[in-house]
Amino acid sequence: MSILELDSISKTYGNQIVSKEISMRIEPGSIHGLLGPNGAGKTTLLRMMATITKPDSGRILFMGEPLVDRHAHQMGYMPEERGLYKRMSVVDQLLFFAEIKGLSRAKAQGEIRRWMQRLQMTEWINSSSQDGTKNRVKQSKKLEELSKGMAQKLQFLCTIIHQPKLLILDEPFSGFDPVNADLIRDIILELRDQGTAVVFSTHRMDNIESLCDDITLINHGSPLFQGKTMEVRRSQFAGHHDLAIAEDQSSSEPPARWTEHPKFISVFKSSEGNWIHRFQCNSDFSSATLLNMGIQAGRVVHFSEHIPSIHEIFVQSIQAQNHA
Amino acid sequence: MHKIGIIFRREYLSRIRNKSFIVMTLIGPFLMALFYGGMIWVGTEAVNSTDNEGPKKVMITGQYPGLTSIPNSESFAFESSSLTVEEAKNELNKSTVDLILNIQDVGSGNLDSITAYSLQSLSLRQERELRSQLETQLHRSQLLGMGLDPMALDSLRQGVELHCQTISDTGDAQNSATTLKSGIGFVMAFLIYLFIFLYGSMVMRGALEEKTNRIVEVIISSVKPFELMMGKILGVAAVGLSQFLVWIAMGAGLITGLSRFFGPQMQEGLQSTQSMQGAGSQALQTSINLWDQFHSLPFGKIIVVFVVFFLGGYLLYSSLFAAIGAAASQDTDVQSFMLPVSLPLVFGLLIAQASVIQSPHGSLATWFSYIPLTSPIVMVVRSPFDVSWLEIAGSAALLYGTFVALVYLAAKIYRIGLLKYGKKPTWKDLYLWIRQSN
Repeated sequence: MSILELDSISKTYGNQIVSKEISMRIEPGSIHGLLGPNGAGKTTLLRMMATITKPDSGRILFMGEPLVDRHAHQMGYMPEERGLYKRMSVVDQLLFFAEIKGLSRAKAQGEIRRWMQRLQMTEWINSSSQDGTKNRVKQSKKLEELSKGMAQKLQFLCTIIHQPKLLILDEPFSGFDPVNADLIRDIILELRDQGTAVVFSTHRMDNIESLCDDITLINHGSPLFQGKTMEVRRSQFAGHHDLAIAEDQSSSEPPARWTEHPKFISVFKSSEGNWIHRFQCNSDFSSATLLNMGIQAGRVVHFSEHIPSIHEIFVQSIQAQNHA
Repeated sequence: MHKIGIIFRREYLSRIRNKSFIVMTLIGPFLMALFYGGMIWVGTEAVNSTDNEGPKKVMITGQYPGLTSIPNSESFAFESSSLTVEEAKNELNKSTVDLILNIQDVGSGNLDSITAYSLQSLSLRQERELRSQLETQLHRSQLLGMGLDPMALDSLRQGVELHCQTISDTGDAQNSATTLKSGIGFVMAFLIYLFIFLYGSMVMRGALEEKTNRIVEVIISSVKPFELMMGKILGVAAVGLSQFLVWIAMGAGLITGLSRFFGPQMQEGLQSTQSMQGAGSQALQTSINLWDQFHSLPFGKIIVVFVVFFLGGYLLYSSLFAAIGAAASQDTDVQSFMLPVSLPLVFGLLIAQASVIQSPHGSLATWFSYIPLTSPIVMVVRSPFDVSWLEIAGSAALLYGTFVALVYLAAKIYRIGLLKYGKKPTWKDLYLWIRQSN
């Protein structure tokens, strides 16, 4: 059973449609990436998943039940714009968020200790309070005494302290330094392996490719495409092949040999200095025909099927839709 | 309710643990006493500083039989002159006199008018004193003209000490203590006015701070905006009540201490006044009367009304303040919403000053003590003046009923406003937010 199922949900603010008939499924033990340019409607979609706002139409199911406020206990939500209480201590902050997520005080104390050890945050608890008692944490530093990186770690910990079944993260890596970004990434993978479903929005395409099992690209509130990450990569721009032959590498101008070919797409210089020509192959113009064309022209130094990166798909899809 | 409890606890504990709160709670009453003491001192000092200037020299020109010689007072020294008004004005310019009184008699023996010339305007007090002295002198000269001795007439005057008492339902007579009741009522109303603003803006700043800190989005993913708002309002209310309890305890301690110290002395004073006459014993008697009046006040009712209407007024206004805090994105956005919301409270204080103290059971005072936006001030000023429990309960029911209705609207603004950033909201936006379903 899916952890979260969105069935044709739409949302409008005034005259502006921010979500238009979006359907998606978030499976347990999987990571779902939400892509889209700024203003595409990602945050609104995540807020609807997190019960902060409600869709105007369509329905959201949480573990098979219509989504209601009480399900929020089983979710962890970290918005893009983050903040904590500046004058509150680290432990009080964690206790507060654990309690509003339905954890008992005693259980919250145990979880705080466990996670603070896991994230190497025990030095944030004042040494005078480390009295050795089990599952009890007392005084700790206030947020205003922490560095930005530490505060970010704390923010993330506040989101996961109650062991949510669904983790909703809006731009989770923005603002994190590389060390902390890797730490957060490791924890997200660890939680996924334990069965937690994760959905997050990001602009960092490297994260999408390395982390996400599924992706959804939205623009102007509508989904452009969605599916398994590798399937999406293979399905978008299918049949693209790259070909390069040995020729003068010193020229700064690309050769005009195939630019007029009906299946020609583009030409660019590779890092090795070869001029790579990209063609659209299909049933009329197979990859074998393309290779033969290269062999006849000279010595083939590069020939491959091009599987586009998520970054390419993102940029080209958005540009294509915006120009349509 | 559980979530409201968690928010309530966070609000309450984080505020009462604050060092500045502890310091203010302990020194607040002293600062307030210092403030009122300072006001009284400034008032007294203003009078004394005028008196220290010495009497003004007044030159009388023109003629009227009754005003040829006017006895000097602490403020004015009179001298008659045969100069014309124009000549006298030269004297004024030479600063040999401070004031010229030109008396015009139309010749029929009737006083037509008196004009006072001076280089600097007279103060209100000086003007009043001068008029009074002239009227007294005219009165005396008219009495003499009728062959009556003013001194003999003065000796016939007798002061009366009026003891106003009210009869309760059980037939017991009680000191009506009007001045004391007015004073206590007004001080309580002023405290409510002050604390509604103080604690209400605490709620508003809290909501705005959570919004600008961007923490609110995390919280409302787990807590309904209504629960967040109510937890915050009730948490701050508990902070206010705790502060009041500390102050009541401090006040009770002070009164108990004073009673123990001065009580026996007053008893002795009372016994000795029965056999003594004179100014000293008169002052002591006044103090004893005041003390008796103080003890005769319906303290139970006053405290109940104060707590009920303070809480009701605070809840009503703080829900509006919370909505303002949630709607605004920065401090400057707050100003335009604050004025119309706080006007009824200011108006209530004006009604209390102008109407209630003059006529606590008049229709103006009565109606405004029922209207929920002004009742927290007006009913509290009326409360020492034998207002029936039925009236109090009715007004309180209206107040709390309006709170429930307003909190429903405020919660809608709060819910939408918390997630709106950037553009300063307009009244139209707030209206649309109220109508918006989610």
